[in-house]
Amino acid sequence: FVLFLASRNIRSPTPAAIPNYKKSPIRRSKSRWEPLPEVKMLDKPVSASNETGKFGSWDKRVIMLNSSRFPNGVNLIYDNSLSSFRFSASQQKTPSKSAQRPMKRQRIVNGAGLTNNDDDASSDGDKDQSLTAYYSGAMALADNPEEKKRRESRSKRFERGQGHRPDINYFKPKNAGPANLYTKRASALMLSKSFDDSANQAVEDIDWDALTVKGTCQEIEKRFLRLTSAPDPSTVRPEDVLEKALLMVQNSQKNYLYKCDQLKSIRQDLTVQRIRNQLTVKVYETHARLAMEVGDLAEFNQCQSQLQILYSEGIEGCLMEFAAYNLLCVILHSNNKRDLLTSMSRLTQEAKEDGAVKHALAVRAAVTSGNYVAFFKLYKSAPNLNTCLMDLYVKKMRYQAAVCMSKSYRPTVPISYISQILGFSNATAEGNGEKVLTGLDECLEWLKAHGASLITDNTGEMQLDAKASSSTLFMPEPEDAVAHGDSSLAVNDFLARTS
Amino acid sequence: MAYLSMGESHRRITDYLNRFADAINYQDGDSLARLFSVSSDSPSLLSLADALNVFQDANRLIKQSEKFSQFGEVVAPFFRSLQCYRLGNLVDAYGAFEKASNAFIQEFRNWESGWALEALYVIAYEIRVLAERADRELASNGKSPEKLKGAGSFLMKVFGVLAGSCDLQGKGPKRVGALYVTCQLFKIYFKLGTVNLCRSVIRSIETARIFDFEEFPIRDKVTYMYYTGRLEVLNENFPAADQKLSYALTHCCLSKEANIRMILKYLIPVKLSIGILPKKQLLENYDLVEYNNIVEALKRGDLRLLRSALQENEDQFLRSGVYLVLEKLELQVYQRLLKKIYIIQKQKDPSKAHQVKLEVIVKALKWLEIEMDLDEVECIVAILIYKNLMKGYFAHKSKVVVLSKQDPFPKLNGKPVAS
Repeated sequence: FVLFLASRNIRSPTPAAIPNYKKSPIRRSKSRWEPLPEVKMLDKPVSASNETGKFGSWDKRVIMLNSSRFPNGVNLIYDNSLSSFRFSASQQKTPSKSAQRPMKRQRIVNGAGLTNNDDDASSDGDKDQSLTAYYSGAMALADNPEEKKRRESRSKRFERGQGHRPDINYFKPKNAGPANLYTKRASALMLSKSFDDSANQAVEDIDWDALTVKGTCQEIEKRFLRLTSAPDPSTVRPEDVLEKALLMVQNSQKNYLYKCDQLKSIRQDLTVQRIRNQLTVKVYETHARLAMEVGDLAEFNQCQSQLQILYSEGIEGCLMEFAAYNLLCVILHSNNKRDLLTSMSRLTQEAKEDGAVKHALAVRAAVTSGNYVAFFKLYKSAPNLNTCLMDLYVKKMRYQAAVCMSKSYRPTVPISYISQILGFSNATAEGNGEKVLTGLDECLEWLKAHGASLITDNTGEMQLDAKASSSTLFMPEPEDAVAHGDSSLAVNDFLARTS
Repeated sequence: MAYLSMGESHRRITDYLNRFADAINYQDGDSLARLFSVSSDSPSLLSLADALNVFQDANRLIKQSEKFSQFGEVVAPFFRSLQCYRLGNLVDAYGAFEKASNAFIQEFRNWESGWALEALYVIAYEIRVLAERADRELASNGKSPEKLKGAGSFLMKVFGVLAGSCDLQGKGPKRVGALYVTCQLFKIYFKLGTVNLCRSVIRSIETARIFDFEEFPIRDKVTYMYYTGRLEVLNENFPAADQKLSYALTHCCLSKEANIRMILKYLIPVKLSIGILPKKQLLENYDLVEYNNIVEALKRGDLRLLRSALQENEDQFLRSGVYLVLEKLELQVYQRLLKKIYIIQKQKDPSKAHQVKLEVIVKALKWLEIEMDLDEVECIVAILIYKNLMKGYFAHKSKVVVLSKQDPFPKLNGKPVAS
């Protein structure tokens, strides 16, 4: 039995000595595949050359196992007993300009959304209000889904080699357009984004303090070119131009990829100029909403975490709307009860009375108790984009409901009833008769796909045979399941990439 | 403060150094332990601190004699820590104390037998407490509090030393200290909110061959079971939580009322989840009156009371982490309500009692000021049957719950509600 604390290295400041496996890679400021930056003087123009700007360049990042970027002083330790990598905060804080996360430097004050918490979790009964509020705030930020995803994907890089199956849930964007090569690659791009750290390690993480510039560029439309060193002021847009740019994106009819690209570019220009105000908030909120609509959860989470920081600095924005999203994410994504309890306890009284937050809390209660009727009622009445988040749970809830009804109802349940309470009716503008039929059909399809036993009664109405269904219902495999378990490395997609 | 002369300061410091050296040379663990308890604010240590601040050059004294200088690596930073502590500079006090502790561990490793375990316990305790205070200072100055996290790392090292301390026979007398250090780590992780880190240390304690749980001191076992029980509550693993917390309760000394209260705070929701209600007297004796209404609601099948009780103490329950557990009791309350309806019907007309109309249930809920439409009540009924809280079935067409003639409302009997 080998404890991961080898006894030899007691003197070193780091808590673990790594036996035979690779030592944790030294914190790098950039991906090891990109040339190290030379921090140039501001009067020298710098050309951002590593980006081709084409969408075709993403395939490099997908294949490479790169980016050993860690937040401040985190070490990767191989834990023999657990056969996996663990993260542990090391004591060393080597001064490095690049890898400082701005959120660590922000003071988490009791701003919007945080309450003064008397954390009774300490067994000594310490009444330690602001400190534990800080801890829960910092922990929440450090443990937010985005950070967790990064950690997950980082640690999973190693597991992959040892035959572990990563179970990161990648969300496919809802492709409204034709299924052509472009959108297919786009969806792969989306997947690779959540996969790859250096793309996801937002612009916001580079230390811009030393590189702040005042922009002069007047272009409203600008592609996103990742900057890795001092920017040329003539390529950075000042605030008034950025406002126009945001407006342009909001009114644009183009697709998500275009808007996402533009928004990232706007975000970068804001960060470079250290602009943190209502405009910044609006940009992130816009981006978050767009990401949510297409199901790009990685981008959404990134924006969410930035927004939480901005809100806590007192900047105005749609706090309640995003507090509700936050809550829904915790409820519907992680099964982590502790995170849920923390999020709930940090709601201010004002938040608890807000409509969107109330809705999110009601959803939580419905999910916890398995109350499918309440869930789908709330689905119909969801404010803002709460439906988008709920969408991710709909399948599960319907299945639970079907299983429950099969056990409890005898002899049968009308499909029309099931269709109605499980939210199958489409919200189309068609005439009444048409609408109900479509929902019913969808419900039938769904039930059949899950193995339900159906019969027609003597009046011609379709019914669910409850007793029979209780043994035939099953949850089918997700459509994009691949043999090795990693859908983003699917061979088909790989071959489809031609550049 | 009365004037402290150089001579008197000199005397105090040398006196301490002598006691320190003697304690080690005579392997007097208890005396050594007392010499480290900075946060206890003992008069002797405080007066030593004053002396150090006056004398200012304690290092010279340490180096003067071989008797003292051999422990210089431990004592010198310890003195610094004490000085900073006395001056109210907690952050530096912690830093220096950690350095001293590090040096102490080096020495400790070389000592045979576990004579110095008491001292080690004090050091582990102090590391945690000083780190907490240091963090408070950091936070109040607007800096990020990271000392407690560092304390956690340090204690993990200590744990490693204790776990790795085996002699040729494979049994090390220092091993029994590991549980105490584990408990300190639990306290740190709970405070930081990083309870997932408890997992690795629990695994070490429970699966390693070198540890025999029964060998550990009872005090540590109770604390350990308390924390692991709480983790089970968080994971809603009720049978395990019941077992661990009950162990803590039965083995906890009755005079430690505060501790018993803490155990009960978590044990009661667990017991409620498996259908065991506490007596009102118990709640009153240990000042756990927040559970009064919940117990009452369960007894009466009063959903309104449960919800109001949850809301009233929402903050408290959320902080302690039992909110979700208590909320789940709703189903049991529904069950009780339905049972009451059944009993009333039975009194009126025994032959028809096993059929309960949905609209009757809706009416009953209305009397409790709870507005739920037919669909929702139907859903609740379906869930109750599904989870075996009711035996029978629901006939959708006639909107009637048809209950089994035998034992339609099975008791939980110590098992949690099926999930």
